[in-house]
Amino acid sequence: MTVESASSAVNKPRIGVWICDCQGRVSTNVDTVSLVERAREMEGVVTVRRVDALCNTEELARLRAELRENNINRFLFAGCSARSSLRFPEQQISAVLESTEIDKAMFEVANIREQCAWVHNDRKAATAKALDVLRMAHVRLKLDTPRAPATKIIPRSLVIGGGPAGLQTAQDLAALGQQVTLVERGTYLGGRMCQIPFLFQSENWPGRCVSTCVGPVQAAGSMFHPNVECLTSSEVADIEKVDGNFRARLRLGAHFVDPEKCISCGKCAEVCPEEIASEFDEGLFRRKAIDKDFPRAVPDAYNILERACTRCGKCVEVCPAGAINLAAQAEEREEDFGAVFLSTGFDTYDLSRNREFNYGLPDVISGMEFERLLDRGVLRPSNGQTPRHIVFVLCAGSRATREKRGEGVPYCSKTCCGITMKQVERLGLTMSETDITVIYYYDIRAYERTFEAMYDHVKRMGIEFLQGEIEGITGTDDGVKIHVARLEDESTSTGAAHTFDAEGFVTLDADLVVLASAQTPRKETQPLVRKLGLQTDQFGFPMENQPRIFRPTESFVDRVYVVGAAGGPKVVQQSVEQGSAAAMKAAPYLIKGEKELLKFVSRIDPAACVRCRICETVCPHGAIKITEKGALSDPAFCQGCGLCMAACPTHAAELINFTEQQILDQVDVAFQGVPAGAPKILALLCYWCSYCGADLAGVNGLQLPVNYRSIRIRCSSSVNSALVMEMFRRGVDGILVGGCPPGSCHHVNGNYLTDKRTSLMQKLMAQLGLSEKRLKFDYIGVPHSQKFADTITAMDRDLRELGPNPVAVNTRERSETYGR
Amino acid sequence: MADKIKIVMNWASACGGCDVSLLDIEEKIFTVLDIADILYWPVAMDFKRQDVLALGPGSIDIGLFNGAVRSSEQLEDALMLRERCKVLIAYGACACFGGIPGLANLSDRAGIFEVAYHETPSTVNPEGVNPQTVCQVPEGEVTLPEFFDTVYALNQVVKVDYYLPGCPPTEERILDAVNIIAAYAHSGELPPPGTVIASQKALCDECPRINTRTGTRIAKINRPHEIIADPGLCFLEQGVLCMGPFTRGGCGGTCISANMPCRGCFGPTGKMLDPGAEALSAFGSIVGPGGEDALTLPAMKAAVNSIKDPVGTFYRFTLPTAIINRTLKDGRNKVKK
Repeated sequence: MTVESASSAVNKPRIGVWICDCQGRVSTNVDTVSLVERAREMEGVVTVRRVDALCNTEELARLRAELRENNINRFLFAGCSARSSLRFPEQQISAVLESTEIDKAMFEVANIREQCAWVHNDRKAATAKALDVLRMAHVRLKLDTPRAPATKIIPRSLVIGGGPAGLQTAQDLAALGQQVTLVERGTYLGGRMCQIPFLFQSENWPGRCVSTCVGPVQAAGSMFHPNVECLTSSEVADIEKVDGNFRARLRLGAHFVDPEKCISCGKCAEVCPEEIASEFDEGLFRRKAIDKDFPRAVPDAYNILERACTRCGKCVEVCPAGAINLAAQAEEREEDFGAVFLSTGFDTYDLSRNREFNYGLPDVISGMEFERLLDRGVLRPSNGQTPRHIVFVLCAGSRATREKRGEGVPYCSKTCCGITMKQVERLGLTMSETDITVIYYYDIRAYERTFEAMYDHVKRMGIEFLQGEIEGITGTDDGVKIHVARLEDESTSTGAAHTFDAEGFVTLDADLVVLASAQTPRKETQPLVRKLGLQTDQFGFPMENQPRIFRPTESFVDRVYVVGAAGGPKVVQQSVEQGSAAAMKAAPYLIKGEKELLKFVSRIDPAACVRCRICETVCPHGAIKITEKGALSDPAFCQGCGLCMAACPTHAAELINFTEQQILDQVDVAFQGVPAGAPKILALLCYWCSYCGADLAGVNGLQLPVNYRSIRIRCSSSVNSALVMEMFRRGVDGILVGGCPPGSCHHVNGNYLTDKRTSLMQKLMAQLGLSEKRLKFDYIGVPHSQKFADTITAMDRDLRELGPNPVAVNTRERSETYGR
Repeated sequence: MADKIKIVMNWASACGGCDVSLLDIEEKIFTVLDIADILYWPVAMDFKRQDVLALGPGSIDIGLFNGAVRSSEQLEDALMLRERCKVLIAYGACACFGGIPGLANLSDRAGIFEVAYHETPSTVNPEGVNPQTVCQVPEGEVTLPEFFDTVYALNQVVKVDYYLPGCPPTEERILDAVNIIAAYAHSGELPPPGTVIASQKALCDECPRINTRTGTRIAKINRPHEIIADPGLCFLEQGVLCMGPFTRGGCGGTCISANMPCRGCFGPTGKMLDPGAEALSAFGSIVGPGGEDALTLPAMKAAVNSIKDPVGTFYRFTLPTAIINRTLKDGRNKVKK
């Protein structure tokens, strides 16, 4: 097609209508021959074909050929549901259009099978409905517009956080030829993994990896890949979305020690007079202001912690390589990226929130701190002596639900039991003189093969397990006392070293307490999470889209990936898996260098926008930003849910190809085939769950009142309440809005927003004397076809009893009386 | 300069504030008098209705009509002015959208008479008399205008050329109208029919607080009397339902600068389908603390359900021009008395 003919083709609709008999499965109940006749009369229609089954290979080939031969630029298919058909769904239609030159936005489907022929046995009535359904698709198709050109995606990725997850993403992307910038806040790569000396290989394989080995290996995979730039002691100071990509301001820490020149001889640290608590050692040990956090740290160079350095210059004097420059300055630079990977890891639960733990005592430490002792020698922090009795406390600040007292997070971090079993096993093998007790509350969650085996092993070793609740931990002259209360109905102690007294209490004398604490969301990352517009769950973890089932690591914001423990508790192996998954999810955009826009994208009219930011409040996908000129919806980030459109006070926000005009045009032609006296029922069904739930009514052989029509809407929350009101004005007698079941909305909370709005709308309707039965919201999922059928049937009955919608009657009378 | 143009001002169902607002432009009223003869203005000048009736069709240049239409007399006035005025301007919220009197559409004549003539504690009406349109008295027959069931905006009974919204219109906008009158007096030129003499955008566009609006939800609704609002902060940020996003600007933010939220007296902006349901849709979306997945459905809806009076909140000045302009009778639902 030439440019000229392409542009004129867009201007002048040439609609091709294909009506499918479905080998009798449609034509038994719907007179498709009469549909063909009526389709020919419709505006812009140049070709009408009736086929026996469009989904077979031969017919598809003919369809492609005829679309081309007849210069069709809009495709109208009447037959099976675009959502639910297993033979000719919208994915197949898209593929057909892709192979012609018709833009993929330029089609509509009249679902005359699942929600017509299959749910209405009365052939005459079903045919009348089918014609309405065809008209609805036709008026909508007339106003469809082709998609704007794809957005260019910058082929460079930003990985924030250089732990095992981020490193995996970086090296996998690099292997695909992608450019990566990896920003790590700390002085070395590998993150918390490097702090843990003994890693279990995975929860289903009892091998052991030591971080001394795998830490540098995992780091080197990124460090020495020419496609990866690793920036340590650096952070992302700011990030915003610009033209479908991300613009980040990177703050690069001052390079006081030139890693190119440093030979890691350590002379500088020897002479450095300043000490500071080592973050790597969780504050249990100290390092010099100039130092290397651990010998195998990558990059292999010493570094200066600015906050500890007095610039005394002693290190400069002794450095044989001339690598130190105390005048070095931090730098900032701005860079654009096509994808962002948030692999910032986790914080550990703040144990000082629980007074009963007495976490300030030197010999009361966290599980992470104990990892450092395992590496440096298990000695009491208070006096450096070998502990005689170590007590481990599980769920310290975790699973604070139901009856469990005390502060804490309500969830299980799933890693702590396994980690504790590993730590206990390690001690049992190496410190035979030390007694060990494990105190747990609900149970031991040693899932899968490795953890369960370790649990079994340590029990066999004679380690004591005591179930109870921590009343308090107190310090003594030479140790700590742990006061434990028996749980009401259940109390067991294996090993029987300690037994509860008659009142149900027992006190343990110990000299080291290890609190297995939860993994919590990274606080430091919160500003980034906000700036990127990520949704967070009730605990503060950034959420994955369709939490991890079908879109692992993808957040609700396009091309922002939540990787590893940043998105919730994980062990190293799971974090690494996510690193790979994220790279794979992003690869298509990065390799293609573009993001195809969806058929439905939001557009905000700056002439009407008043920057009230309500669209931004409801946008689940971080697609809207506020500029001087007004709100701006970025089509490359928009996922076409229409929540902005339903909430915009001034109708500045509109969804392309799902405009109010298109919806109202559909409403206007929807009920021509409804017999006089029968209520006009409109089901506005959300794109994924509810529409499919309604389709399955047909699949499951249910029968429905023939006077209902449905419109597949983008999200239950894409329809403005005023539009609903307008539908009443235009004569619709009853409206059902269907949204995804709780917890299942594809746009985070569209179903809930609609539920709320509908409640409020019903209150308004009650004030205005309009029966609340005329508007209903329901959570309708794919398996809820019976619920859908029952709801429509009940509405039909109620509306027949109520009679015609008085809004339309009132509007008519009003205009007859005075005219407007 | 040509002859002076002829203008009239009428008072229908309104509180009188519109008439006062015209006097509130102070000495600038003389600008009007320089270019125009006022032929009728019941509140300020001694002309009678028959003086207007005596004038021929199209003989008045500009008619200012304030107040809603809710009686046969007001309807006659509207028709009288429409016939005689070349240009008819709906003056004030009541004429433009029904205004506060428009909330009477939640009831009807019988309901209103019941309250006004029987139920209020101060009513003394032992014989239970209701107003009649015709009543025989010893001196003869006396008549009263018919009281309608429904309050109408001016444009629902006659064609309106321009709208000057506000409760009452503000001085700046009145002066805009005066300038339109002056321009017409000089050159005969007029703005396009249907023009609303106010901003084309919503109030937020001119609100000094708009830059303090963040993208956050309204976790809990505060009614204006429940908090002392921070005068520098967007009301929505403080949980106060402000009609600014849904209301035409141009008022100069009078209420906002008095630290009260917008109540909507300038009416809806141009693209809206319905003046109140839009606000319901937006507030219904952003009211509530978020994190719905973790809440039970009643808890999830609690904040929204705390909006006690959707009509009064969202249609305070606009009910007669809403899609549903009055209480309806639906099926077995009885009209609320």
